[in-house]
Amino acid sequence: MIGTIKKPLEEVLAALAPYRKVALVGCDGCAKVCRTGGVDEVAEMARTLEEHGKEVVFQAAPERTCNVAKSDPVLQPLTDKIEEADALLVLGCGGAVQITRHLTETYGLIKPIKVGCNSVGHLDTLVPGAVALEECSDCGECLLNDTGGICPVTRCAKSLLNGPCGGAEAGKCEVDHTRDCAWILIYERLKALGETDKLKRFLEPKDFSKMAKPRTLYIKEGRVAS
Amino acid sequence: MKLTELFAKGTFVFTGEVGPVKGCCRTNGGPPPDFVREAVAIKDYVHAVNVADNQSALMRLGSLAASVLLKQAGVEPIFQLTCRDRNRIALQSDLMSACTLGIDNVLCLTGDHIRLGDHASAKPVFDVDSVQLLKIARGLNEGRDMMGNPLTQPTDLALGAVVNPGFEPLDLQLIKMEKKVAQGAQFFQTQAVFDPIIFESFIKKAERFGVPVMYGLLIVKSPEMAHYINRNISGITVPTWLVRELESVPPEGRKDKALEITLRLAREMAPMVQGIHFMPLGWSDLIPPVVQELRGKGVPGAGGGAG
Ligand code: SF4
Ligand code: SF4
Repeated sequence: MIGTIKKPLEEVLAALAPYRKVALVGCDGCAKVCRTGGVDEVAEMARTLEEHGKEVVFQAAPERTCNVAKSDPVLQPLTDKIEEADALLVLGCGGAVQITRHLTETYGLIKPIKVGCNSVGHLDTLVPGAVALEECSDCGECLLNDTGGICPVTRCAKSLLNGPCGGAEAGKCEVDHTRDCAWILIYERLKALGETDKLKRFLEPKDFSKMAKPRTLYIKEGRVAS
Repeated sequence: MKLTELFAKGTFVFTGEVGPVKGCCRTNGGPPPDFVREAVAIKDYVHAVNVADNQSALMRLGSLAASVLLKQAGVEPIFQLTCRDRNRIALQSDLMSACTLGIDNVLCLTGDHIRLGDHASAKPVFDVDSVQLLKIARGLNEGRDMMGNPLTQPTDLALGAVVNPGFEPLDLQLIKMEKKVAQGAQFFQTQAVFDPIIFESFIKKAERFGVPVMYGLLIVKSPEMAHYINRNISGITVPTWLVRELESVPPEGRKDKALEITLRLAREMAPMVQGIHFMPLGWSDLIPPVVQELRGKGVPGAGGGAG
């Protein structure tokens, strides 16, 4: 999922300062998991905005706002309401915000779209409702087959591909002593699998052209272009 | 002179270390900056001096400019080059620049993470790692860039690397060391380690790589510094016995005590290695007596002239 945290309320109110009528769009996918933009958080934000003198023209939380297949069927019937609003506030990731903008444009509307969250990464939920971890940075060329299913690109603070730096102590990363050193995890895992030989293989520098932004995925062809 | 030539002759190699200042060092004919003077003061006792590259991710004068200043002052520099702040284009370019400016030795490092330094909000680069950097540097020595394009003139650099004998699990560190050797490392300086037993078990396993190893000897100046290192410097552990010894003398006696400990460690470790790399943390004046003592005691090769 895409992790999000709430922006401070003052920042949201400052962004909405010029507008009185606000439409609220959440996301009942990732933002629900992060408790930043699911149905409940949208309702809570609606109350807060009303307390601060705003009129909430509608509230919605599509199942996956970043996916037009889910958000268009929810927002399109609300076109009149969107038109009535002075601005939209999206409680979701940066993708949800931009898809909302894209959809309003296709409805022939030019409306300010504001964001109520900060996006903090492609994260995996480890403890529901409590902890999500960044484990993959979408490098475009997955190495997990050779690293015991633990990603060095993401979980090593320096993205080292050929083994640990000298800084780990007691199994912890030099950058953050509360975090395991990814390379020690990889080593232990490969040892348990009887595959430590894999560690001896030299890995060439990564091809960062595979991560060049912005990437476009052509789903039918299974092709990425950037 | 390339350290590899000294090792090939069987010379027991001594190196020191200086850290460039935070500031421009255009002297306009005035006296050289302190780190140059510190290096010059030990130049008859060491074969070369490491020049740190924005050490601990603290922004400083560039290690290449500082290396050139040392060279001009008659001290052989070891240009430290980290992957933290440069992508592969900048790394290759800096290696060619170094050779162009007369640098003979380069130490290829990953670099401390930006989070540990004074510009925590900077973008960490880490485009390549230290093993890949060694391969890239070897390629430049052979006359081609990492994409295989020919160079008008190859570089001619001795390639050094680092290894941490105190790392656990040691086998994982040795796998990385072996990779470094395979990709071009011609000599190693070790991270600071104070336990001869740990060091010996490392050396026994590392010997098979057939590459010269220099023992990393950190001069611990005070119990406070020991605590600071243990708390803040990753990968180094100052043992309790060393802290106790420093504590056993009043502050004014610490320098003598540090010399005594340094001498003892140097004597104990020297027979296991091909050189000693001193990390004096400003107390470079302790290096000459240690080197004199080892040369006097006839450490193999240590009698040879430095410089
Ligand atoms: S190697 Fe790591 S960053 Fe790349 S795709 Fe696999 S998990 Fe993601
Ligand atoms: S301690 Fe481990 S995880 Fe942290 S930067 Fe070094 S190798 Fe990577």
